[in-house]
Amino acid sequence: MSVLDITRVSKRYTQDGPEVLKDISFRAEKNEFVTIVGPSGCGKSTLFNIVAGLLPPTQGEVRLDGEVVTGTTTPHIGYVLQKDLLFPWLTVLDNVGLGLEIQGMRRRDARERARSIFAAYNLEGYEDKYPSALSGGMRQRAALMRTLVTDPDVILMDEAYKALDYPLKIQLESELLQTVRERGKTVVFVTHDIEEAVTLSDRVYVLKARPGEVVAEIPIALTTDTTRIDQRRLAPEFNDYYEAIWTSIGRAPIAA
Amino acid sequence: MTTLDIADDRVVRAPSTATGRRATTYRTLLITLQAAIAIALLATWEIGASTGAVNTFLFSSPSRVGQVLVERWQSGDLLLDVGTTALEVALGFVIGAVGGSAIGLLLWYSKFVADLSAPFIAAIGSIPVLAIAPMTIIWFGTGLESKIVIVAFSCVVVSLTTSYRGARMADQDLLNLVRSFGGNRGTAFRRVVVPASMTWVVQALKLNVGFAIVGAIVGEYISSNAGIGHMILLGSSNFSVNIVLAGLALVMVMVLAFTLIVSGIERILLRWEK
Repeated sequence: MSVLDITRVSKRYTQDGPEVLKDISFRAEKNEFVTIVGPSGCGKSTLFNIVAGLLPPTQGEVRLDGEVVTGTTTPHIGYVLQKDLLFPWLTVLDNVGLGLEIQGMRRRDARERARSIFAAYNLEGYEDKYPSALSGGMRQRAALMRTLVTDPDVILMDEAYKALDYPLKIQLESELLQTVRERGKTVVFVTHDIEEAVTLSDRVYVLKARPGEVVAEIPIALTTDTTRIDQRRLAPEFNDYYEAIWTSIGRAPIAA
Repeated sequence: MTTLDIADDRVVRAPSTATGRRATTYRTLLITLQAAIAIALLATWEIGASTGAVNTFLFSSPSRVGQVLVERWQSGDLLLDVGTTALEVALGFVIGAVGGSAIGLLLWYSKFVADLSAPFIAAIGSIPVLAIAPMTIIWFGTGLESKIVIVAFSCVVVSLTTSYRGARMADQDLLNLVRSFGGNRGTAFRRVVVPASMTWVVQALKLNVGFAIVGAIVGEYISSNAGIGHMILLGSSNFSVNIVLAGLALVMVMVLAFTLIVSGIERILLRWEK
């Protein structure tokens, strides 16, 4: 059984408005890295919000571990956005422990648990700083830590690294891949970046725009074990996968 | 973690010491000049008074004002007047400004109640404190209570509307995040709305220091037997400019003192804001 199962989800914002999403179905197996890739206007973020439970779909359902969670937020789905959403009035430590505290853990325990992962994410020494003292990459790391420390079944990521400069993005994606592999996490990653999709994913769903519709499902198997994104790009199959995704996007009219 | 280190983003913002030093020098220069100007003005006034160029019956002099303050301190009147006004301001401020902020924040829970009450709040806010002060004397007597009510009335609407606006502007994405961790509206209010609105709440508190003191003085003008307003009124009805100006000096000091207290509160509430 899939951890996450999205079945025939459609969305219209108003009753006779245009269909933003049409009949979207996809799934994510346990420990799988699934990427939704599509051009702007394909409803990626709408889909993201529906899966996160922040927006109800017009039709269709979202199942988590077989249970219908459509239209409800659940602490078992964590998410990371391009905006890091750190609370400026909390220290980095309290930001990382925020999810645990809201889920009912005592503050002292949440802090202790949060503190224990700082070294692994290269943020040691910044526990008592406020987020304003952190660089963009460090902030994004802290946001990922806040999600991971609550141990969600599924992590949703919406263009999380879009705002970072290229080398930093490669670095953080390498870290991400290593973490989710080590810890056995299921990730649904939303992006418009084909290279990102190929280097990170086990499976890619290609969306076309207006209405957002799945046009291809492409399993990815690069013949390399490394989690280093710069190395993964050099795998011999990289170009074939890139081409395959590019062609599926090209089949649909690309919104400028 | 990976040992790969193509991008080290651990950039720590080191404050430029050269810029820091220049800023300190500038501030020292500013304060020195300001003090010099104040002393020069007071000295001119004093010399003018002693040479007869300034009519001391109409305009008094720094030494005469100082003498009034010393005499009233010795008689105990000064402490009574300052204490009375300070108590009125402090209690009225806590009830009006802090209470108003709390109500404004709590209105976040219901946009309907907020919209419904908006014209009534605006109506209350449009009443000049001078116009309502005589009524409060009738309702609450000539003692401390009526002044506290006037002070609270002077502060409440500004705090309420400002903090409500701040609460409304809380980032929806942060509220969603709290929801995604399983937090309810109460958690969202406590963890996001209240801290996010603090900048606004504090701005209103700062504005209200002035309004509160005006409220207390107005209340004392209308009817009182102690307070700085009482002292000023007494001085002017006896044609004693010395006493009136001594009162004005006390008002200035009191505004300064309350502003410092609120700045201290600001530093605690907004310590994350650099």
